[in-house]
Order: sequence, then C-alpha cells, then structure tokens
Amino acid sequence: MVESDIVVESATLEDIAMLAMEFGRIMMECGSSASIVEEYVVRVARGLGARRVDLRIGYASLAITVGISDEGITRMRKVGYLGVNQRMGQSLRELVRRLEVEKLSLSLTRSELTRLVQENPRHPGWFVDIAVGLACASFGRLLNIDWNAFLPVFAGATLGQCFRRQLTRRQVNVFITATLVAFLASFVSGLTARWCGSQTVPIAMVAAVLLLVPGVPALNAQYDIMNGYPTLGNARAVWVGTILIFLTIGVWLGQMALGEGR
Amino acid sequence: MDPVKILHQMLFGGLAAMGFGVLFNMHRRHLLLCVLAGGLALGTRTVGQQLGWSLEAASFAAALAVGSVVQVFQERIGVSRNILDVAGCIPMVPGLFATKAILGFFSLTTPEPSNPNEILISSVEYFLRVAFTIGAIGTGLAIPSMLLRVLDRKK
Repeated sequence: MVESDIVVESATLEDIAMLAMEFGRIMMECGSSASIVEEYVVRVARGLGARRVDLRIGYASLAITVGISDEGITRMRKVGYLGVNQRMGQSLRELVRRLEVEKLSLSLTRSELTRLVQENPRHPGWFVDIAVGLACASFGRLLNIDWNAFLPVFAGATLGQCFRRQLTRRQVNVFITATLVAFLASFVSGLTARWCGSQTVPIAMVAAVLLLVPGVPALNAQYDIMNGYPTLGNARAVWVGTILIFLTIGVWLGQMALGEGR
Repeated sequence: MDPVKILHQMLFGGLAAMGFGVLFNMHRRHLLLCVLAGGLALGTRTVGQQLGWSLEAASFAAALAVGSVVQVFQERIGVSRNILDVAGCIPMVPGLFATKAILGFFSLTTPEPSNPNEILISSVEYFLRVAFTIGAIGTGLAIPSMLLRVLDRKK
C-alpha cells in the first residue's frame, strides 16, 4: 500500500517536473531572460501542486528539483537554439495565468501547451523579409547613408533575410549562416549602391547586415548578469561576440569582392 | 536643437523597431507600439546628443525613457514589457561600431598594416563604445522593471 502511494506520488512529480521544464525550455527558445523563465517555471510547478521548486538555468539545459511533502525528484532537459518569438512567449504567459486562475489540471495544461506549439502563428516569410529590409534601410538612414543607398540597403537586407530563412530551414550552423548572409547582403547592397551613385557605400554595406546583430541576446546577457545568473549571461555574451565575428567576416569578404576598404 | 533631425531620427527609429518587431514575431496589432517605442527611443537619444551628451549617456536616457513608459502602460497595452522595450531600443544597438572594431582588429593582423597604432586605437575606441552603449541601454531598461518589482513586493 505504502509502495503504491509512493509510485503514484513520484509519477505526479515526474509529470510536474517535465511539464514545468517544457514551459521553461520553450520560453528560453523564445528569447526570455533567465529571471522571467525562472518566475514562470516556478509558477507552473506550484500551480500543478509542487511545494518546493528549484531551477538551474544553463545555456543549453535546464535542471529542476520539485518536491511535495518529503518526496522530491530532480530532472534535466536540453534546450535548443535560443531565438526570439514574442507571440509564443506571450501565449505561454497567458497559459500560466490561466493555470493559476482556472486551476487547470496537468493533462489539460499539457494539451493546451501542445496546441500552442502546434499552432504557433507566424508572419508570412515574404512579409518578414520586406520588414527586415525596411528596418535595415532605416538603420542606414540613422547611420547617415545618403538617399541613393536607401533602396540598395533595402534590397540587400531583404535578400539576406530571405537567404537566412532558407539556410535556417536546412539547419545550417548559425555561425556559418551569419557569414554567408552577411556576405550576400553586404555585396548586393554595396554593388547596387555603387551603381546608384551613392557616396556612402561602406556604411551601406554594414547597414544591410544589421539584421544579424543579436540585440536581444546581448541585452539578455546583461539582464541575466544583473539578475544573478552570471554563468548564463556570460555564455550569451560569448555567443553574441562569436556571431559578431562571423558576421564581420562576411562583410569583410563582401568588401574584398567589391574592393571597398575600411 | 534641430527639430527636422529629431523627427527624421524618430521616423526611421520607429520603422527600424517595427521591422524588428516583425522579425521577433510580434502580433500585427502590436507593431504600431514598436514604432512608438522606437520613435521615443531615437527621439530622446537625438535630443540628448543635441544637448551635448555622449552617445552612451543619450542612449541610457533613451532606454530609461522607453523602459519607464512601457512599464507604466504595460497593463493597458497588454504586451509583455520586456520584449516591447527591447524592440524599441534595438535601433540603438551599435552594430556599425561593433563591425568597425572587428574589421580594425582584422586589418591589424595583415602582414604589413598601415598605421597600426591609429587602427588599434580606433578599434579599441569602437569596441569600448559598443560595450558602454549596450551596457547603458541594458541598464536603462533594467532600472524601471527592477524598481517596479520592489514596489510590487511592498504591496
């Protein structure tokens, strides 16, 4: 009898731990900072009945300990590529609020989470490409490119973002992707800006690759360090620095191809 | 003060923030908020620079302004605050300086670099400006949310 109770309790703890970590994993992959991930994972675990929750957040993995009365288990799981997906992050937060207010059961929470992941609405690819092109051209104006370079930067960045989507779909390494996209975007923008008679070709070539600058991870790195997660913050900072190096190699190759110096 | 320059920076700062909002998969109804956040950030930064502040100080003031406004109106606008203020401040991330710094370090490693001392100093300067500006933006955004957390605990 006692043995049976323990089996039931540990199965529940297992479910709570795994579901709470699933929330944490998706939030990490959506670009949330460590303090937000911890806050919501703890709320999920407590909402499902855990009394004690401890979470360790690493760059590539999560580890959680949940406990009810004297029983407790520790589980770990892998985290995938850390991107940015605001809509998914928002939906997860709303689901956590529902879990607390409506006292959702574990199975219902899990099925709602599965539904969110399967639906995961996204903007059409062409719309993202054009928006990113416009963003980079606007960046260019902020960096004082002349009007002759505005459309070339737009074209180079749009093409670069389209190329990035294709490479990401084929699961090409993110650093190699940064170099290839930076080369294409800077080369196209530099070449067309030159044809258009721009006097700011070198800046236009850099403006077209600003779509690759990892702004969210850079700011998250600082948040994490400030909020007491220095290991994760430093890992993010190293990743940001490495992306910037690979991105710059692409720009440098573009400059070599066009004979543009610093 | 140059109001035309301020409006220009606000317009293109807002457009850049909106473009990144799309990339971050923000809902269409929130994209206008990105424009406003980006416009506020670049407007504040440009006013600061026209008052003679350094880029880092102006970026800090701009991030503080965006972070505070987003915190105050967060309940009403119904979008997670940390992504909206980040989208607004993304146009201030000094990507050009970062690229120039690394390109400068690359050119130092060529067999016979021309003016190596000058290149080294300018590259280090760009690198420091990147570090300080990102630090200023991150700190400016973090202060309002950390203060709000303290106030929430008191309630």
